[in-house]
Amino acid sequence: MEPKPIDWEKLASIIETHRTRKWNLIPLLQEVQETFGYIPPESMEPIAEALNMSPAEVQGVVTFYAGFSLKPKGKCVLKVCRGTACHVKGSRSILRFVQNELGLQEGETSEDYQFTLETVACLGACFLAPTMMVNKNYFGRLNPTKVSSVLNQYGKSKEDDGSP
Amino acid sequence: MKKLTSIGQVEWLRNKILADSGKGKTQVHVCMTGCRAYGAEQVRDALRDEVEKKGLSREVEVRSTGCHGFCAKAPVIAIEPLGVQYQEVDPADAPEIVARTLVNNQLIERLAYKDPKTAKPVFYRNQIPFYMKQERRVLANCGRIDPTRIEHYLAADGYKALVKALSRMTPEQVIEEVKASKLRGRGGAGFPTGLKWGFARQTPTFPKYVICNADEGDPGAFMDRAMLEGDPHAVIEGMIIGAYAMGSEYGIIYVREEYPIAVEHLKLAIAQTEALGLTGENILGTGFNFHLSLKMGAGAFVCGEETALMASVEGKRGMPRPRPPFPAQAGLDEKPTNINNVETFANVPLIIKNGWEWYAQVGTENSRGTKIFSLAGKVNNTGLVEVPIGATIREGVFDIGGGIPKGRKFKAVQMGGPAGGCVPAQFLNLPLDYDTLQRIGAIMGSGGMVVLDENNCMVEIARFFLSFTQSESCGKCAPCRLGTTQLLEILTRITRGDGKIEDIETIKSIGQTLTEASLCGLGQACPKPALSTLKYFLKEYEDHINEHRCAGAVCDSMVISACQHACPAGIDVPNYVAAIAKGNYQQAVDIIRERNPFPAVCGRICIHPCEFKCRRGELDEPVAIRALKRFASDWYFEHMGVERDPYPVTREEKIAVVGAGPAGLTCAYYLAKMGYATTVFEAQPLAGGMLGISVPEFRLPRQVIEEEVRYIENSGVKIMYSSPIDANHTLNDLMKEGFKAVFIASGAQASKHIGIPGEAEDCEGLYYGLQFLSCVRTGGDMRLAGKTIVIGGGNVAMDVARTALRCGAGDVQVFCLESREEMPAWDKDVEEALEEGVVLNPSWSPARIFNKEGKISGMSFTRCVNVFDQNGKFNPECDLDDTQFVDTDNIIISIGQAPDMSFLPEDSQLERALWGSLAVDGNTLATNVPGVFAGGDFTTGPTFVIRAISSGRRAALAIDKYLSGDQTRIYIPDEKTVCEQDTGLALEEESTEARARVKIEMEAPEKRIRDFREVEKGFSAEEAHFESRRCLRCDLEKRGD
Repeated sequence: MEPKPIDWEKLASIIETHRTRKWNLIPLLQEVQETFGYIPPESMEPIAEALNMSPAEVQGVVTFYAGFSLKPKGKCVLKVCRGTACHVKGSRSILRFVQNELGLQEGETSEDYQFTLETVACLGACFLAPTMMVNKNYFGRLNPTKVSSVLNQYGKSKEDDGSP
Repeated sequence: MKKLTSIGQVEWLRNKILADSGKGKTQVHVCMTGCRAYGAEQVRDALRDEVEKKGLSREVEVRSTGCHGFCAKAPVIAIEPLGVQYQEVDPADAPEIVARTLVNNQLIERLAYKDPKTAKPVFYRNQIPFYMKQERRVLANCGRIDPTRIEHYLAADGYKALVKALSRMTPEQVIEEVKASKLRGRGGAGFPTGLKWGFARQTPTFPKYVICNADEGDPGAFMDRAMLEGDPHAVIEGMIIGAYAMGSEYGIIYVREEYPIAVEHLKLAIAQTEALGLTGENILGTGFNFHLSLKMGAGAFVCGEETALMASVEGKRGMPRPRPPFPAQAGLDEKPTNINNVETFANVPLIIKNGWEWYAQVGTENSRGTKIFSLAGKVNNTGLVEVPIGATIREGVFDIGGGIPKGRKFKAVQMGGPAGGCVPAQFLNLPLDYDTLQRIGAIMGSGGMVVLDENNCMVEIARFFLSFTQSESCGKCAPCRLGTTQLLEILTRITRGDGKIEDIETIKSIGQTLTEASLCGLGQACPKPALSTLKYFLKEYEDHINEHRCAGAVCDSMVISACQHACPAGIDVPNYVAAIAKGNYQQAVDIIRERNPFPAVCGRICIHPCEFKCRRGELDEPVAIRALKRFASDWYFEHMGVERDPYPVTREEKIAVVGAGPAGLTCAYYLAKMGYATTVFEAQPLAGGMLGISVPEFRLPRQVIEEEVRYIENSGVKIMYSSPIDANHTLNDLMKEGFKAVFIASGAQASKHIGIPGEAEDCEGLYYGLQFLSCVRTGGDMRLAGKTIVIGGGNVAMDVARTALRCGAGDVQVFCLESREEMPAWDKDVEEALEEGVVLNPSWSPARIFNKEGKISGMSFTRCVNVFDQNGKFNPECDLDDTQFVDTDNIIISIGQAPDMSFLPEDSQLERALWGSLAVDGNTLATNVPGVFAGGDFTTGPTFVIRAISSGRRAALAIDKYLSGDQTRIYIPDEKTVCEQDTGLALEEESTEARARVKIEMEAPEKRIRDFREVEKGFSAEEAHFESRRCLRCDLEKRGD
């Protein structure tokens, strides 16, 4: 399956709202990321042009921050927390379990663009450890059974927007 | 809401809100931040529906609030003004809560907090221990107000401080007030906030910027998140006051995008302040302008560093730059900039509103006020905690945190994340303040406290942090870029079992370079997790490198299954448990005997380190490994008996063992198995050593020891009873008699004395622990009458107390220096003693023994405040004003044992260790005299039987190597048994809920204290079968590696 084609008009209108505004590269990129799920590499040149900088500078910023991705992501982005509290409570095993269940390694997206598997340094939900986030929802005190049920919850809703 | 154009209008609005809020209304506060992951939203909606259905909307308000702090019991709700807190609430509970509590003021026990010891319900929040030791100042509104509604904040005296600053204080006065409060930066470094503001004010360039650093990236920290989610206006008010003081017109909150709720609440809050005119142009008609905006981070930990943060705000890569110039001179856009942490700003309104005198009432000399900590990891009450600066770490972890789950041992608390260090148990009594933590190699940091227990590996923790800093290093400066990579590589190597002993020095040297040469705090502080674990847990590093042992049993390369690795003797637990599951009981015992010739003894009294590491314990409860071992070995002796063919003697060399205790007999057994003729010399007429002397009959029947000893004798070990090695028959004599090697394992059987007044006098009624136990055990006349005091907090003291009860003592009270958590006695023994009626008096130091005409009459004690000093040394500190005198008829002193060295002649060439025993090589147990080895309690001091057994087997291997001329080190890896058992994984079969651990039957306390019958009963075959199938077979995960 192919990722959704880019809506160039939409991209252009996002870029327009930020044109020549000071310090706006990151907010612009965040909006693009939020809208398309990634930063289409083709968008870097028009972005650079709009903010009067070189495409190299834009690429430098895009690749520096973990929050930006140059590859399209799945509908459901799973972020398995690898923070300290989760780590001491066995998040490594949780990550392995998720990897096996989805057949994905960290940073990979499934062929049908349903799931992307990521790890995150800390979700700040240490009291729920071990924890993970699917899109904007938190799931805590995970064990293999619970992870399976969460994955099922998201796997079954392939047609909608990825919320449970 | 209309814009407020004057100071007076704020108070006018506040009065109006208070009048409208309908005082007297019952409020139900539902946490809608952290608890949301547990369905708090559904709980809130169910409560709202129910309130509406019952027509109570005018009397009851169901309010969405921020975090209540007690995240461990989410979802949490509070009912005000009753002060009631309910926990783990389900939407289905709503009708009952409304009908009973809201309408009839009845309390619901099921939803209340339960005291973990007594299981009694605690209904009122201010009586829950988690809250009792806290001082919730900054968090006062968190969990009470709806963070999305500025009216709630105003009703709770919000923006009063701003009004006071704008109307009655000059900017200089504000700065002076903050200086006087001794508020220090809560982001971690602890720089005095007032001073920092002063610098920013002095720089004459405009515009100036105020930035709130809400890029909380430290793994393990979530206090800023809770603050922003639960009370965002407090932070904003602090920022506006700061901006007023410094003369700044622009503010930016830089927040992590991974915190969606915080972002949402901040956006709302900023819009509300703009609408009310609390930010923007000409604030409240005072002419002061302040424009506040929100910037979201894009996922880079280094952006928490102030210069990197500013680069990121400017839209560049978030890389730090050298300082000076400091941000106060040239920061954002080269303009003066002041950056403070979320919590720092949240403290400011309190200082301005209440005055610095009030604020400084709590805290330490150098830093006043409170600090919020996020408590996480291996602790019962995870959550958000606010304590006065200077509270002890123990208060945080144990009093508030409720200690470590599942009866495991505390190992360390990681403070300050990747820039911090690990604080070991000996420092639990230290105060939590910036300077103390810095001194011991940790930092206050942003306040993350991640508790680690015995199942964590410190090398792996260091590796974990380095893998974090390595991937987050921005790469600008070489020391950090290369240093983190090298450190990570070395640490990874050690956890993989490929470490070299030189690695330890290399880590230190790279660490020092990083600290001195890195550009920013990330690099300078990143070696701390490695250096602090190296400092306090060096042995774990050495064990990984030299012995391939991982104390936490987590490092994959050296661990087949955690239970086997945790066992000092390295028994292949999963396979013998599987053998029991398949009904192969004899094979189960064979597997145990590959590493331990005392299965029936250990099945009764082993402290089972295996069970504390059992992975099943992470799901529900660990497999009852010890009881299974007892079941199999009892079956064995019942059906197979003690007979067996002796191992054939295939070696010429004869070997002597001194002492027929567990260490000596184990050594002899494995030597016999290797083909050596082995003779054990025992001073007593009975074998078993400490097992037969100090372990009471009701825990370990004599018959069990006899059976194990007979079996060992039958396998070819010769025991010479009543044959002491002493001046009449010396070690030299043994050598002359043709023994090629000797293993000394004569135990630690001399009771220690306290050395207090009255002890030296020879009184009737004064006994020492071991002497007392052995007298009872060997059938001596030992009847006690009247009150009996036992001194000591260890296992022997517990055995003494329980034996005393059975010897007729009417009333037994134990006094020990340690607090209940610090007592070295095994929890199971303490609990059984308590059940039997023994009274425990922890934290009392013995002061004096009194007698009347040669008969014990009483004893006095002083209160022991701390057993260990601030350096973690044993150095009891007493409160001399807190004393007590107790009448008693008997005193049994049981404060520890030492080896009895009297059998060795003074002029022996054997080298002594510091505490009086022999000095031995830790790996080979060899003394300085070739051919003489020593181990067991004799060299280590009193410890647990399984350690003595492992020491005995080590000695056997060492002696074999010695006699074969092999000079390599002893290496005892975990090994798979040859009798591998194939059973499926429990997880694949059925759900875990239906398979709770089988309870071990006990004799009733009132019956068992009448005589010396065995207290614990064994499993039946059905129970053993069921229990053994609970094993998850983690060992099979590694098959084919």
